[in-house]
Amino acid sequence: MSYYDIDSILTDAEKIPCTFQLDIPDLGYLDNNPSHTLKSGTRIQLPLWLAEMLAIANTGSLDEQAKSFVTFDLPSALGNDVVQALKADPRAVPLRDQSPHFYGLATHMMDLSEEQELAAVLRKTFVTRASEIALHARKVGGANQHGAKGQADEASNLGVGGAGEEFLRGLDEWERKLFRKAHDGTRAGKEWMDSVKKR
Amino acid sequence: MALPLPPGLAQAEVAFLAEMELVTVVPRQRLESINLLSGRTPVLRPPHRAPLPLWLALLLKKQRRANIVPPPWLHPTSLSQIIHRETKEDPTAFSAPPPPPSRAHPSQPGMAHRPAADANLSPPFLPSCTADAPAGYLPYHWLEVAEALLAHAGDDMAAPPGEVRGLLRDLVEVRAAKMRSSTSALEGFGGGLMSLRGVGAMELAESRGFVLGVVDGVRRIGASAEATRREEEEMGGRREDDEGSDDDMGI
Repeated sequence: MSYYDIDSILTDAEKIPCTFQLDIPDLGYLDNNPSHTLKSGTRIQLPLWLAEMLAIANTGSLDEQAKSFVTFDLPSALGNDVVQALKADPRAVPLRDQSPHFYGLATHMMDLSEEQELAAVLRKTFVTRASEIALHARKVGGANQHGAKGQADEASNLGVGGAGEEFLRGLDEWERKLFRKAHDGTRAGKEWMDSVKKR
Repeated sequence: MALPLPPGLAQAEVAFLAEMELVTVVPRQRLESINLLSGRTPVLRPPHRAPLPLWLALLLKKQRRANIVPPPWLHPTSLSQIIHRETKEDPTAFSAPPPPPSRAHPSQPGMAHRPAADANLSPPFLPSCTADAPAGYLPYHWLEVAEALLAHAGDDMAAPPGEVRGLLRDLVEVRAAKMRSSTSALEGFGGGLMSLRGVGAMELAESRGFVLGVVDGVRRIGASAEATRREEEEMGGRREDDEGSDDDMGI
């Protein structure tokens, strides 16, 4: 997570559900209620960077009543039903619909709170989807490069089906990068193979 | 940040390096020895076979001054044997690289020698594409050498080039599928070993970006769990140390 990483910045802008623990005067506009006090217990979607700050900071008093400004829950993208769906079949879930920066958000949330099970599910999801991504990357390369001409000399004779496009639309940013890498590798291999014949 | 090139060798670089491999040629004309950076080439006398670097052999082939003897592993029988091994006998692993040159000398059976001090035993410098290379094993530069030979010396092949090409395509697809599924070894915690033994240079160049991406993704997903595990281990380790020192005191 670099300072200049645009994906990291965009991940920080993802909203997560927070609950305020204190009454805060004049902050009501956050809850579409301008010039009123923001009541304790209000649930508001806050961007990740703000929620993180407010959750870590506390009221500053040294007695035992010191508490953080907000508590946060897991966002709906990492909610129970999504995790259950991922457990059932990682390939069937369009992660991009949950969040364009699904894995970035998930790792950030895991940094903030202990989620052992989530980590295991995500790992399985990522790896399973990765091999699927590689398969599609290879297929798409074949279709784009040679599409009309020279079917006989095709390294891969698999076409891109409707299901494939559906799957590719559901990739989050990490997976898109992975797809690009796999695709670049395959394409460079094909280019080399063509250049051998020409020389 | 400034260098746009991905890590590792690109395909063109791998193909360039593969041209250093030695292949066996049958010369049609005499050619005196040439003093190359890699050493002197043998004197070519028409009926006698001689090992030459691939690039020089291809040059002579184009000028119709030599024929190239394809390496035994490029024979259809050997290729289909390898495909059979990859698909039926061991559907998860890549087929093994060729064994190192035998220490036993054919003239002295039963007597193992220490290989000569200047003998090359590391893969890029093995004579693994010459006519006396072992059949049934794919050397490090198999795909590059096979493609180059098929493109420029198709008439020297032991079988119709189309047949060899078809078998090569099958092999490429089988091994690419293995490369994809090898990532699933990273699924569980604690595992995470991917054996890439026997994978060729060109295959590595193709899948390097993808495999590194997968490994890096798994690392980032596991980073927080790893950090907590380390902390726990540290705490636990300290306690164990204390107990250990107590035991020492007792003894």
